Amino acid sequence: MSRGAGLTGRRPYRHYYPAALLTAVILVGAGLEACGKTPEASRARFQAMGTLVEVSVYGEDAATADAAGAEVEALFDQLQQRWDPWGEGELGRLNANAGGIEPLMVDEDLAQLLDGAAAISRDSEGLFDPAVGGLIRMWAFSSEELVPTSPPDAEKIQQAVAAGRPLYEIWRADTRQLLLGPGTAIDLGGFAKGVAVDMAIDLLRNKGIENAIVNAGGDLRAIGRHGDRAWRIGVRDPRGEGVLAAIDVEGDESVFTSGDYERYFIFEGRRYHHIIDPRDGYPTPGVSSVTVIHQQAAVADAAATALFVAGVDAWPRTAARLGVTQVMLVETSGTIHMSPQMEDRTWLIPDPKPEVNIQQIPAL
Amino acid sequence: MADPGSQAGSEYPADPRPLIRGGDILILLLAAGLVGASFGAFWGPRGEGETALVTVDRSVIRELSLDQDGVFEIEGRIGLSTVMVDGGRVRFLDSPCPGRYCVHSGWLHRSGEVAACLPNGIVVEVLGGEREFDAINL
Repeated sequence: MSRGAGLTGRRPYRHYYPAALLTAVILVGAGLEACGKTPEASRARFQAMGTLVEVSVYGEDAATADAAGAEVEALFDQLQQRWDPWGEGELGRLNANAGGIEPLMVDEDLAQLLDGAAAISRDSEGLFDPAVGGLIRMWAFSSEELVPTSPPDAEKIQQAVAAGRPLYEIWRADTRQLLLGPGTAIDLGGFAKGVAVDMAIDLLRNKGIENAIVNAGGDLRAIGRHGDRAWRIGVRDPRGEGVLAAIDVEGDESVFTSGDYERYFIFEGRRYHHIIDPRDGYPTPGVSSVTVIHQQAAVADAAATALFVAGVDAWPRTAARLGVTQVMLVETSGTIHMSPQMEDRTWLIPDPKPEVNIQQIPAL
Repeated sequence: MADPGSQAGSEYPADPRPLIRGGDILILLLAAGLVGASFGAFWGPRGEGETALVTVDRSVIRELSLDQDGVFEIEGRIGLSTVMVDGGRVRFLDSPCPGRYCVHSGWLHRSGEVAACLPNGIVVEVLGGEREFDAINL
């Protein structure tokens, strides 16, 4: 048909039909795009290790996702029982037998955990130290059931610090022997959760699940991606109650944050949080939160604690010693310190933008 | 080869009707509306939740609309927790747990945000709207 047909046709509006049809198609398409959601991840949630654990799985049917969630829950329950510093499991029995002059023999499973913790304890020059279990308990941060209301007696803190020796000095890997002096206890908080997350990811992979997040109370490891996009992680603002930063994560990465804003108490107008500096026995001042991205959750977990304790000036050196490159530290003043590797991938949400200080991690 | 368009122009007399007519205006209006709507969808505020789902030991106890302000008492394992909805946000106001970490969690408003009082077995989760984050790191 000649293109002039419309001009001579009997119905003068006939040549609008293709345009109107096109418009309708665009509108319907846009409507579907806006309303029709891409498939969501399946989620399973449970309580373990004193926190809320969420397993998100993408691209699997609901039955597979539910079964995976149940298996991760069973794993966490088992680990919690074994690694509770004050429970009936392996670690609890060890701590209960502290105070003797003879070293204690450690089961093989727990020995492996202590090996990993001792290595990070050494690399961080004792800033991450699971041997401060006695101090943590003194501060009453060791259990959900205890009520921290005031700081412990200053003299007792001083005695505990003076008598304390870091894990890497009291643990003998070759003979699997641990020397626990009086008042000393091992608390693997700041490490055990990371190890559990790593083990949960291994479990999911062995089931053939390739796209998942295991999120233990906000600390997580993500593998694969969310369909056609990366997993989107929001990092909580330590003071503003909202989200401070958005980070896209894909492949295989862990994001762990240590913060002063959840486990704390206020005494005489001062905030006392749960991250205790092994060098003086008190909560580290000046820092609100430290976020670390690293492949292994166990390393990210311990590094976040170690860098928090290292503080505003010393964190780049400790990061270098731990082999960690992606770090964000938020001061209590709100000033943000980031490594360039972290800044590259972090989108800060608050408006106006907070003050950001980029700090290189030194070569050692 | 000659341009067919210019040929057509020479074969037919000029169209006597105005260049823009009613249907064109309709299409222009629809197109403008589409641009406006997509702008809102792609660049507007995202991730705001619509309801707060309250569960006790994994059973859904109630679903609170974030449009309706109010203070709600939730019976948990060890006692009554108080949950407050205000201006599209929700938070734990009080809880019988020792550490009160749930109260420290503060306000939630983004779809997918969660606060929990574990000793009392209560979880508050914001749902609805477009979920902006797959997980919140804290």
